[in-house]
Parts: sequence; C-alpha cells; structure tokens
Amino acid sequence: MSEKRKYKKRYCKYCEAKVDFMDYKEVGALRFSLSERYKIMPRRLTGNCKRHQDMISIVIKRARAAALVPYTVTRKAVVTQPFENLR
Amino acid sequence: MRKYENLVIVKPTLTAEEIQASVKAIEEVITSNGGEIATTDTMGMRKLAYPIEKNERGYFHVIYYSVAPASITEIERRFRLNEELLRFVTIKYDTNREVKAWNDLVEKANKKAAMSAKAAETPAATETPVVEEAAAPVVEEAPVAEATPAAE
Repeated sequence: MSEKRKYKKRYCKYCEAKVDFMDYKEVGALRFSLSERYKIMPRRLTGNCKRHQDMISIVIKRARAAALVPYTVTRKAVVTQPFENLR
Repeated sequence: MRKYENLVIVKPTLTAEEIQASVKAIEEVITSNGGEIATTDTMGMRKLAYPIEKNERGYFHVIYYSVAPASITEIERRFRLNEELLRFVTIKYDTNREVKAWNDLVEKANKKAAMSAKAAETPAATETPVVEEAAAPVVEEAPVAEATPAAE
C-alpha cells in the first residue's frame, strides 16, 4: 500500500491565492506553469484547477505573441540563456 | 466604449527621439479614432524572447484606452501599416471582472509613472529603500532614461 500515496496531494495554487485575473506582462508569475522549455505545464503535474488552467494558458499565449515568453527553445538557446530572462 | 489595452513594440534601431515620436504617432492613431487614452506604461528597451524581423531587442510601450469597438479594426489596420512597429498586441477587457482588472492596471501604471517622475527629481532618495526596491530599479531606470528626452 506504499504505492497508494506516492506524491503530495495536489491543489490549485491560484485558487489558494484567490487569483481572479492574470496579467500577461508579469512574466515572473507565469513561470510556475511553464516547463524548462517554456511549454505550458499540464494540469496533472501542476495541480491547477480547470478554471485557472484555462486562464493561464490564454495568458501565456498572449505573452508569447508579445515576445515576452518564447514559443520554443532550441538546444543552443537552452545552453546560452537559462531561465533568467524571466524576471 | 469598451476598455482596451495595446502593447506595442517599436524598432530598437531608431534613436530615442525617433522612438518617442513614433510612440506619439501611435497614440495619435488611437485618439484620432475616437479613443480616450487612460494611461500609458513604458516598459522600456527589453530583450525579445525571440527575434522579430532579425531584431533581438525592442522598445515596449503599453497604452490603456477606451474606444468604440468598431474603431479597433481601423486602429489595427493603421498599426499594421506602420513599419516602425515590430509587434502589437490588443487585449479586450469586456466582462465585469476584466474591467475591474483594467482599472487596477491603470492605477498601477499611473502609480509607476508618478514613481519614476519622483525618481527623476530625487535620484538619491530612491536608493535608500531596501529589499523591495531591488527588483524595481531595473524596470524603472529605462523609463527615466527615455522620459528625459521627451521633456526636452
């Protein structure tokens, strides 16, 4: 039965913080839902609720269009610029 | 009248005066189409997440305004004709919650503008506050540097 609860129980961090609106210009706040390669993290890994996942995915896509967050990261870019450009 | 927000990225190859002039021209496009600019927020010269038209950097400027929804197509058409613009992002704030967020953002931008104006007057005073300010000067230094040519 040790397999039963292997990971901590997940909860929506945005619900806890009572986030009602996300701003696409605050790039640092988006980091939680982005992978190392700037992919949008799935709900099953972050524990976000459906409502906030929908919000964050829209906001991340806006930030990508505004060139605040990259669409893709090539191998070269991964090496030369770590996560630091998101302040 | 509906609330909107536009983020525009101006080409980095222009000089500071030319950037100010083109930002002014962009705001002129909005006002001439019946828009009322609530406030503007200068994010300054930033590194782009990916190169646009072979430019690695860009001058970010955010404009909060309200305008009749029908005028947006014309405003965007004018933006597309403008070759000094690398990119623009138009965000609509429609629902009650979004309008509330828009008001908060406008207030925040106003506060930031007031802060940077104060920082320009007394540069020594802003250096004394500690931890919270550590992140802020990076953002604020750029607006101050760009704000001075506008004053001249």
